[in-house]
Amino acid sequence: MLRAALLILGKDLRLRLRDRSVLLFGVIVPLGLTVVFSLIFPEMDEFELPAAVVDLDGGPIGAAFADELLPELVAAEVVVEVPAADEAAARALLADGDISAAWILPEGMSDAVAAGRGARIEVLVNPDRALAAEVAQGVARGFATRIDEVTLAVATAAVSGVPADQLEAVGQRAATSPPLVTVEPLVAQDAQLDPISYLAAGMAAFFVFFTVQYGVTGLLEERQQGTMPRLLAAPIPPASIQIGKAAGAFLLGVVSTTVLAVGSRLLLGASWGPPVGTAILIVALVIAATGLMAFVGSYARTAEQAGNLQSIVAVSLGMLGGVFFPIGAGWLATVAAVSPHGWFLRGLGAQVADGDWRAVLPAAGAMVLFGVVAAVPAVLRLRKAIRW
Amino acid sequence: MQADRSAERIGDGRGSDPSAAILICDGLRRAFGAIQAVDGIGFTISPGETYGLLGPNGAGKTTTISMIAGLLRPDDGEITVVGRRMTPNSTRAKAEVGLVPQDLAIYPDLSARENLVFFARLYGLDAARRRERCDEVLRVIGLAERADDRADTFSGGMKRRLNIGIGLLHEPRLLILDEPTVGVDPQSRNAILESVEHLATEGMAVLYTTHYMEEAERLCDRIAIVDEGRIVAEGTRPELVATIGSLDVVRLEVAGDTVRAKAALEAHDEVTSVDTDGTAIVCLLPGAARALPQLLAAVAATEATVTAVEVRVPDLEDVFLHHTGKALRD
Ligand SMILES: Nc1ncnc2c1ncn2[C@@H]1O[C@H](COP(=O)(O)OP(=O)(O)O)[C@@H](O)[C@H]1O
Ligand SMILES: [Mg+2]
Repeated sequence: MLRAALLILGKDLRLRLRDRSVLLFGVIVPLGLTVVFSLIFPEMDEFELPAAVVDLDGGPIGAAFADELLPELVAAEVVVEVPAADEAAARALLADGDISAAWILPEGMSDAVAAGRGARIEVLVNPDRALAAEVAQGVARGFATRIDEVTLAVATAAVSGVPADQLEAVGQRAATSPPLVTVEPLVAQDAQLDPISYLAAGMAAFFVFFTVQYGVTGLLEERQQGTMPRLLAAPIPPASIQIGKAAGAFLLGVVSTTVLAVGSRLLLGASWGPPVGTAILIVALVIAATGLMAFVGSYARTAEQAGNLQSIVAVSLGMLGGVFFPIGAGWLATVAAVSPHGWFLRGLGAQVADGDWRAVLPAAGAMVLFGVVAAVPAVLRLRKAIRW
Repeated sequence: MQADRSAERIGDGRGSDPSAAILICDGLRRAFGAIQAVDGIGFTISPGETYGLLGPNGAGKTTTISMIAGLLRPDDGEITVVGRRMTPNSTRAKAEVGLVPQDLAIYPDLSARENLVFFARLYGLDAARRRERCDEVLRVIGLAERADDRADTFSGGMKRRLNIGIGLLHEPRLLILDEPTVGVDPQSRNAILESVEHLATEGMAVLYTTHYMEEAERLCDRIAIVDEGRIVAEGTRPELVATIGSLDVVRLEVAGDTVRAKAALEAHDEVTSVDTDGTAIVCLLPGAARALPQLLAAVAATEATVTAVEVRVPDLEDVFLHHTGKALRD
């Protein structure tokens, strides 16, 4: 079984490498597009966040935020500080659109953290300004992590042009929520990848869905070019044909994505975080891509049809996953949870944020789950392809 | 010399009884939806024998051999190859069979040698044997010079030869060729027929399907005439011809009312069967030379005119016509 699968895999790799399309679409085009996009969208570098900080704490931790972190962000031209006397003033500025976010450092925060009781930074955001909201939450989250991730939490409240009494309710909900509120992970963690790394990772995820398509199109091609009866007549278990194709698609996907990771680092200075976590995410991404593309392709009769269906799904999931531009908060972000591309980017963001490869595990788990759930019906459906 | 070699091959210990059949199939049936493609086909092939399935397009030849090669599961019936039951999962039975599919089954982007090497590996040939067999097959199919050129640069005839060569690689006990000469120029066609003849003299059992009567007559020791999924007649060429009696064939090209002309011939005492084949009427009867004037007179008595006459001994076309009531050629 394995021997035959390896033979088929070897033959396919030889053919794939010979026609150069793998090299072109697996490596050169994604790298090139990363460069092009980074030139077209320089505003990703010039992002500015008008924001206010309300320090009700007055202790050392509040000072660390207001007097150390904030000036750093201002100096880095990320944040433009707008003064606000109190929370009400900040809400008013936010409602008027003068600022995009405000950090409320609660009264007694320093004491509470010192006593191990826990406290919460509240982040007021304007949901219409998704990217600003993400950055503001990311800042608070990063700060909380640095101070003490057990006792200092971050809560987010959306503020828009709604009446004050309803705002109260929002505020209260934030206040009564459990101490360790986690900020929307997509939002907080995407922000941790620098733009070039984000683009490169997005392109890698996007194109690997095309690289692995041949798992199914290869099966259909064997039928169309008439070689399938010969494979079926050979003294090998019919399932080894499927296994060979799937393994070939998987291998090509892993290799091309790895080449992109290394290439974008060497050529563009991109950084995807700890290599172990990156490797885990790449394997998980390729499992998801291979499974999903096989599932989609299993509905096609010809290789061309399969390629078209797969491309539609690959592009849609890629856009949802934010490979071209980050998806902000809101309903789109919820929908984006179905995209393996999004999980890949989130996973990378998480490990860059934490500096620890273990942070990729939830995202990797989600992608493997995608892949397996899609692969099972795909394999069952594709049994028809290895029958005559 | 050739006979000695075949005796060696047959008695090499792989099969227990040298005279045992290479292929036994019995009661094969297979339907595709409402179409009964194969409807109870059974036959046996002995070592060194070339067996032909002769029938028009759609007769069920490809479906039959697909089941024999283990590509397709029969709805009913049994297949045994060299004593092993053939199913889609029986790798040991498949190892005894070489299949040359009707449609080209080669990788256009691989060279002739790469195609051969890939399939040789798939059939489990070790490195030394692989090299030896690939060289040998390249020589036999006349592609030694072009071995390292990609298959998509080959002419139609060369691709056909490569297609056949792959089936020969592992020296199967049973070689199945599905209409290997369709769409081939006359020269390549002759080369293919010659190599099949040669293989048979080496002791290989060959199952050959075709809708060309001449090929079946030239190559096959025994022939099954297949129509609508059934074997309508089987045997050696003389046996098949004998199934229509010791009759002569009179073929009359007729202008005018062929229906009445046909009726007039059917009414004639000596004529045993009458079929139409386009504008021609074909009669079978004993002693044609003696009866011919009466036949012509019978036709002349109708509105029709005879424009050409041919008298000959029957061939397989006539056998097919006799058994199925239609012409083999489409
Ligand atoms: N996969 C299939 N699906 C549906 N019908 C088929 C299939 N294969 C063959 N048939 C039908 O079965 C009949 C026999 O076909 P086939 O075995 O290819 O005949 P032959 O090889 O003698 O030309 C034909 O009517 C053909 O249309
Ligand atoms: Mg056929």
